[in-house]
Amino acid sequence: MAKKLTVVISQSQGKNPAKQQLEESLAMSLLLDGNVEVSLVPHLYDLSADHSGLLFLRSIPGDVILLSWLYPRGARWILDRQGIRGHEGISQLASLSEDSEVDREDDHHERNGNGKPKHEQVGIVLKDLPTRKIYCLDLRDHTDPQVYLKEIQRIANESTLPIVDLVSFIQAQPRAEQIEKYLRPLDILAEQKSATPLSDDDDAPANGEVVRRRWYPVIDYSRCTNCMECIDFCLFGVYGLDTQGLILVEQQDNCKKGCPACSRVCPANAIVFPGHKTPAIAGADGEVGDMKIDLSKLFGAPSAVELAARERDVELVRDGRDAVGLEIGIPRRLKDKPVKPRDELDDLIDSLDALEL
Amino acid sequence: MSDLTFLMGKFEARIPTDRLYSDNHLWLQPDGESGIYRVGFTAYSVRLLQDVYFLEWSIDPNSAVYKKQEIGEVESSKAVSSLFAPADGEILDFNEQLLDDPSAINTDGYGKGWLFRLKTDVQFLTPDEYMQHLDAGWEKTQSLIKGQYN
Repeated sequence: MAKKLTVVISQSQGKNPAKQQLEESLAMSLLLDGNVEVSLVPHLYDLSADHSGLLFLRSIPGDVILLSWLYPRGARWILDRQGIRGHEGISQLASLSEDSEVDREDDHHERNGNGKPKHEQVGIVLKDLPTRKIYCLDLRDHTDPQVYLKEIQRIANESTLPIVDLVSFIQAQPRAEQIEKYLRPLDILAEQKSATPLSDDDDAPANGEVVRRRWYPVIDYSRCTNCMECIDFCLFGVYGLDTQGLILVEQQDNCKKGCPACSRVCPANAIVFPGHKTPAIAGADGEVGDMKIDLSKLFGAPSAVELAARERDVELVRDGRDAVGLEIGIPRRLKDKPVKPRDELDDLIDSLDALEL
Repeated sequence: MSDLTFLMGKFEARIPTDRLYSDNHLWLQPDGESGIYRVGFTAYSVRLLQDVYFLEWSIDPNSAVYKKQEIGEVESSKAVSSLFAPADGEILDFNEQLLDDPSAINTDGYGKGWLFRLKTDVQFLTPDEYMQHLDAGWEKTQSLIKGQYN
């Protein structure tokens, strides 16, 4: 009999022992607890669409907590793209980049109903979301497993509210063997430990299936406005449209490893590359960084679009094609920027001294 | 010829006429051989940065650079910024003294506070042209700063 809440731990890339230990102690504690289903899958971002880990995730009917080494925004939209959909569950864990907000508690009741949560940007409203909730927690936020266990317990209590579609539990199909194994995380861990210790290969299959590092954009549809600048800019055929005309990352693996150029040209910051070193591109929420002014633009930093065009040119040349510079697919909004009217800023520089940051 | 002055609010940024300028707010003073310049922050830059705490270069001496290539980083009491090459050319060496103590940037920005030596055949702005450049960019600079405070 399926339990109401499934906790899925998405394993880290590579073999960082500290990370593996956190994953393992979380899996053990949750198993001993017995209140929730526990499962372990390879690094979510690297799973190809037909990987059994994703088949397993798709087979979960109820609420899900995903623990991963990814920003929650990235994780949520990776799942969405892979057909694992639901309403965004709001975690109360404070992440490193933000303080917990008191008023968040109410937000999730409003989604897709009468009005959007106030921290949400105006993006495309996705229709037909299942009523269940998906909570994404970032394993990089805390080193103490207890912090996560507490939050999982809190969510488990919240999730006993009768908001889950119970019919889907009753009708849940028995899972195929290849999927069922994900509900035996201890076996997975044991298998990994015994697996060819001689091989130093990061790609060592967790479950017999090879998982390679992948690189592709993930669209955050809560921000995306379907403006088509990404599809105009990318010359590698990554983007496409669905039957409704909605922008889609159609050919994930056409993307050029390391190139985040389309993310830079996106006017809504809706394109996430979960593996990029810049937090804003990797899906960190809101503003990241300190309070000092960044004068890079003044000292000659290339604009995001110049940078994007340069990155794209590198990949074009690598493919034996011609560099196109700023000739093709450059956002229209850059062609005629309005000049801002002058306002009372004359003594601004003098006021800098007063602002002791 | 006496120095020019650009008014930043009430602050007077001194622009000496014995050297050339780049559009990314560096001065360039011919250093012996033709095509070799000493490069430093203009008074305009220094005023925006205020007290410089930390300076770091991400390239080695004698490196070819292209305009807008990122070459280092500066942190001050008010700001952080990446630093970028002012033109295509070759950076010959850096002012080693600043790496231990960058305070000369503030105390003697047009002299001992020089940053690096650049070899290039690119044309730079005259003091008058730099003044016009400052004039034209002043509002934008203010909104850049204001935008980040809001």
